[in-house]
Amino acid sequence: MQKVEGEWIVATILYVEDEKDIGEWVMQNLSDRGYEVIWLTSGNEIDSYLATIDIVLLDVMLPGLDGFSLGRRIKKQTEGLPILMLSARTAIEDKIEGLEFADDYMTKPFHPDELAARIEVLLRRFQRQNDILDLQHLIIYTKDMRVIHKENQEEIPLTGKQYHLFNFFIRHLNQILTKEQLYEGVWGEPYIEGDKTLMVHIRYLREKIEKDPAKPTIIETIRGIGYRVKR
Amino acid sequence: MKKFVRSLLAKYMLIIFLAIIILQVSYLIIGTFTIVGSNMHQQDDRKSENDIEEEWHKDAKYVHSATEASVEAFFDEWKRQYPEAGMFWVDGNGNLRLERDVSEKLPSQWNASYTAKFIKSRYNGDPFTVIAFVGDNEDELVVLEIPRSFFDPPIMKISEKYGSLILLGIVSIILLFVIVSFLFFRSIQKRLVQLQDSMELRDVDGLPIEVEITKRDEIGQLENSFNQMVNEIRESRKRELKEEQLRRELIANLSHDLRTPLTKVRAQAYSILQEDLSTEAKQAVKAIEASVEHIDRLIENLMSYTLLVASKYKKEPVNIDIARFVRETIANWYPVFEKEGFEIEVEIEALGEWKLDPIWMGRVLDNLLQNVLRHAKSGKYIAVKTEKHQEYDTILIIDNGPGINNKSEEKGAGIGLSIVDMMVKGMQLHLDIESSGKGTIIRIKRLK
Repeated sequence: MQKVEGEWIVATILYVEDEKDIGEWVMQNLSDRGYEVIWLTSGNEIDSYLATIDIVLLDVMLPGLDGFSLGRRIKKQTEGLPILMLSARTAIEDKIEGLEFADDYMTKPFHPDELAARIEVLLRRFQRQNDILDLQHLIIYTKDMRVIHKENQEEIPLTGKQYHLFNFFIRHLNQILTKEQLYEGVWGEPYIEGDKTLMVHIRYLREKIEKDPAKPTIIETIRGIGYRVKR
Repeated sequence: MKKFVRSLLAKYMLIIFLAIIILQVSYLIIGTFTIVGSNMHQQDDRKSENDIEEEWHKDAKYVHSATEASVEAFFDEWKRQYPEAGMFWVDGNGNLRLERDVSEKLPSQWNASYTAKFIKSRYNGDPFTVIAFVGDNEDELVVLEIPRSFFDPPIMKISEKYGSLILLGIVSIILLFVIVSFLFFRSIQKRLVQLQDSMELRDVDGLPIEVEITKRDEIGQLENSFNQMVNEIRESRKRELKEEQLRRELIANLSHDLRTPLTKVRAQAYSILQEDLSTEAKQAVKAIEASVEHIDRLIENLMSYTLLVASKYKKEPVNIDIARFVRETIANWYPVFEKEGFEIEVEIEALGEWKLDPIWMGRVLDNLLQNVLRHAKSGKYIAVKTEKHQEYDTILIIDNGPGINNKSEEKGAGIGLSIVDMMVKGMQLHLDIESSGKGTIIRIKRLK
């Protein structure tokens, strides 16, 4: 996890888990990574925390109200709050039911690095923190999508579509995005095979942000699949 | 009894019964009509041939003076009584006098021989003929002739008169009967066909739909039994679904219960790893982590396998753009292969839409890609391609690993591949595995 001096804002995680050992371990681990963690063993008092937290981690099998019901209720009350389900229930049906409202579903046993990575992705996607992304020769303020060139400290102006496109990449950092996903995510319309609009926009975007647009390093081309912005 | 009244059998018997009754009643009506009719035509009682003969003789006897006037009066009297009758008078000189409605041409002069011939020809013939002497005079004859049919019973006279009409009546009654029977059976046939059609209708859940009971006859009973059957099927389907649900629940709970301690093991291992450890200890902990992951996969596969074998794995095929689907799947796996230092080659061209369950297909691709990652690491190469052939389109997954028969460090690939095989077959696709010591090519084919 990279921190930029002075600008780092700690995200608060609400973690609901009834298993003592696992709960302790996850809480310890996430605290070590610099997050503020509130750990509850049931969903009973969850309401009083909702206003102050940035993300919810929910176990499914809980005493009282189960994780699915709890998650639905949270999503209804505070829509902009990301929810990550964390469960030992791995059946497709459970995952699908979970993903109806949750933003991610992770199965146990999980690796703590993966959990942290997913939390980070969700926080970024929901822009719960004004993350300052240090990306090669660029500094990106993710909340307002300002792109600064490190060398001359000047802001790179982006047009509307370029802004949306780059924002989509940043929100899906490290993910490989296919042409279809990008087009549908940015333009909001189904992609038609052979359409060159996306390629044209990516070329313009590269001309602005890449050091050498002929050898792009920020927006990678993954041959046969799509594009990726990797940290 | 109530049941019988409502039955088709009863209805048809009623039709036959009515037909018989109509026939009988019409005969009765015809008979009555005849009798009444004949009574109207002839006021007095019907007389036999003998009566008439006797009367004719008697009346003739009383015609004393054989004058033309008296004979004429006599004839008039008879004519009034028997309008059908014909009569003539031959006087003492053999002259034919006073002819009334005679049936044949008669000679004007009569002699003894002709008279004998006439008598012979008319004896027992038609018309019925009576020859009588006028008064006591044996030279003069009065002859009466009445058509034989006059003496027939009235019904025969009617049948002569209205014969074709009665035939027509009978034919039309039979025709009516045939038509009613035809309509009756046609309505039965129509209802049976309708019943068959509605029996073939299927609800959204693939079960037959209850039919509407129209009448409470045999077909109605059939419909009723059919509805009962439908309900029984529905019930048993419900039970089956419930059992399936329980089974799923059980397996899900079981795997949950297995995974919870597994998570703890991993947590402890991770915690140990944070300590200052010797290289060997670190390796041992890493091995524990690897085993945890392995057990996790085994539980997952076992679950899927159990459900698949019992055909309880949900399948909901939809049309998906297969090229896009494969591209997105490989996009998810790309970073993992990249991290392991694989050379990755992706060449996917549009293959149109395939009808399959995306969850199943995702599972198939995940299992195959995971196999490459686990068993073909040494090859450091993976390719995902598509090919179009005349008879089929295919997705290829190629690696340069040691081949499937060559057991890799991590065993237990069998169940994963079995799942792939079953799922591929379940989606009407074909799995083709070509493996040697230099690598493996897996083809998922879809016949055109």
